[in-house]
Amino acid sequence: MYRKFLSLLKNITVSFEKMINFLTTQEHNPLYFHGAIPLYIFWFLIFSGILLWMYYIPTLERAWSSVNYISALPIIQKGTVSLADPASGIPYGSIIRGIHRYGAAGMMIATILHMLRVYFTDRHRSWRWFPWITGVALLVLVLFVGITGYLLVWDNRAYALTVWTQSFIAAIPLIGASLSNFFIAGDVITDYTLIRFFFFHVGGAALIFVLMWTHFIRLKYPVVTPSRSTNFLVLGFILVAAGAIPAINITQELIAKYPSLSDQAAYIASDAPANIGSLVSNVRYDVWYMFPYYLIEKLGITGAWWVLGVSTILLIVAPFYPKDRRDNIAEVIEAKCTGCTFCSLDCPFEAITMQDRAPGSKFKLIAVVQEARCSECGICVGACPFQAIELPNMDSKAIDGDVLALLKQGV
Amino acid sequence: MPTLNPEVPPTASTESKPKVVVGFVCERSIPIQEMIDQQKALHDDPSVKIVILPCSGMVKPSQMELALAQGADATFVCGCAMGDCHYRTGNIMIKERIEGERNPKLRKSTDRTKVGMFFFTMKDKRPFLEALAKFKSLAIKS
Repeated sequence: MYRKFLSLLKNITVSFEKMINFLTTQEHNPLYFHGAIPLYIFWFLIFSGILLWMYYIPTLERAWSSVNYISALPIIQKGTVSLADPASGIPYGSIIRGIHRYGAAGMMIATILHMLRVYFTDRHRSWRWFPWITGVALLVLVLFVGITGYLLVWDNRAYALTVWTQSFIAAIPLIGASLSNFFIAGDVITDYTLIRFFFFHVGGAALIFVLMWTHFIRLKYPVVTPSRSTNFLVLGFILVAAGAIPAINITQELIAKYPSLSDQAAYIASDAPANIGSLVSNVRYDVWYMFPYYLIEKLGITGAWWVLGVSTILLIVAPFYPKDRRDNIAEVIEAKCTGCTFCSLDCPFEAITMQDRAPGSKFKLIAVVQEARCSECGICVGACPFQAIELPNMDSKAIDGDVLALLKQGV
Repeated sequence: MPTLNPEVPPTASTESKPKVVVGFVCERSIPIQEMIDQQKALHDDPSVKIVILPCSGMVKPSQMELALAQGADATFVCGCAMGDCHYRTGNIMIKERIEGERNPKLRKSTDRTKVGMFFFTMKDKRPFLEALAKFKSLAIKS
């Protein structure tokens, strides 16, 4: 039943991608770079983040105003964008903040699409469990880093999210209270709280790099760069969003001066500065990063823990069910292996390592298959000119025999 | 280093014979199981004989050379769409081996006009057959 479901998903996905191929050709189909796109966007987040960092001041008094100083220009004025007047802000600052803000949304969208695509094409199971599990960890980490980014602005919404996060963490048995204090760096919110958030945001981003390394560690030749056309497409989306809907702090003064901004306030901007002790009643949720808070509001803290916890556990166990029969794992024929490394170089899942042979052997190295990583694809068999590695159920001699039999058979 | 592809037998006799094409097809690319009969010949073109493999990357260039040397008039490999190999890199590997960019390489002396490469999804039965017919007409000069 579940296998049929997976097969149906794959059929739907391939049919959809065939349509895209018709428009773009295989070479430029952006869906074939689904894994590289989040990493590509991440570079924009790193560089725009470094630029924002140069002006950001992580204190209760100045966090909001420093972000406001960065992005006060350009502002929308009679439908046009004014980039001049450096006296009241950083020129192009809102564009940089926009790249960071919309890039972050793009990264979460691309990460979820990547995950869905891998699941829909049944490429998450069995020997691929390690990239899948590290991918789940990356998803959680990207979510965490994104949320902390929203906290750094320190507007009304950031304060509300901080309070809810504290309650959410405090609900963990035994260690909840300590973790909650760790989250805000003390019993109450102080300047240290924002420094802690800043550390979470930047340290989390650094940890994304580490986790990406583990994500790739069992993949030979991982696709880390999208095609040029996909690069331009993704960059275009981010730049158009950053230019068309500037990421700025909304204030009553600004709305009074530029009424058209109030139409966009629902989804683009930060609120007024945080007022500690005064929780806003109508928080605007970002779809991609704030769904945990939506769950908290709708289901309560326990309900949100259940939904998020069960979802995470389902994602973690997904690669282990259903189990496939694994009876065709590559085998090395020791007497024929010359240690040429071709199979090891070509194995797409890093399942073949080269090990030293005993002293006095004719050849220095021998290929060794790590069974748990083997996908039974036979690429190593194709790579071996000496017929020294074979799939037990389909060896090279049998294939040669098939070829000869087909030719003998004639038309 | 020993000679690559050492087990390719000498070329078969050139006596007149029906035209036969041998294809090595990845079981996850085109829906090949439903396209062949019990003799492993394509329904749409019985002169095309198919060897089904788990991945196009499993094809050894020496096996394509073997097919040509033993009387096939052309040979081809068909893998998943480029960028979408189920095993990530199988189609890239065989493409590079045939193009002489990756070991083991297809011999330089092999007539390239008789060696085809196709990369299609499981929904591309018709485009595959069209591409195959075009390849055959160019590879087999009557």
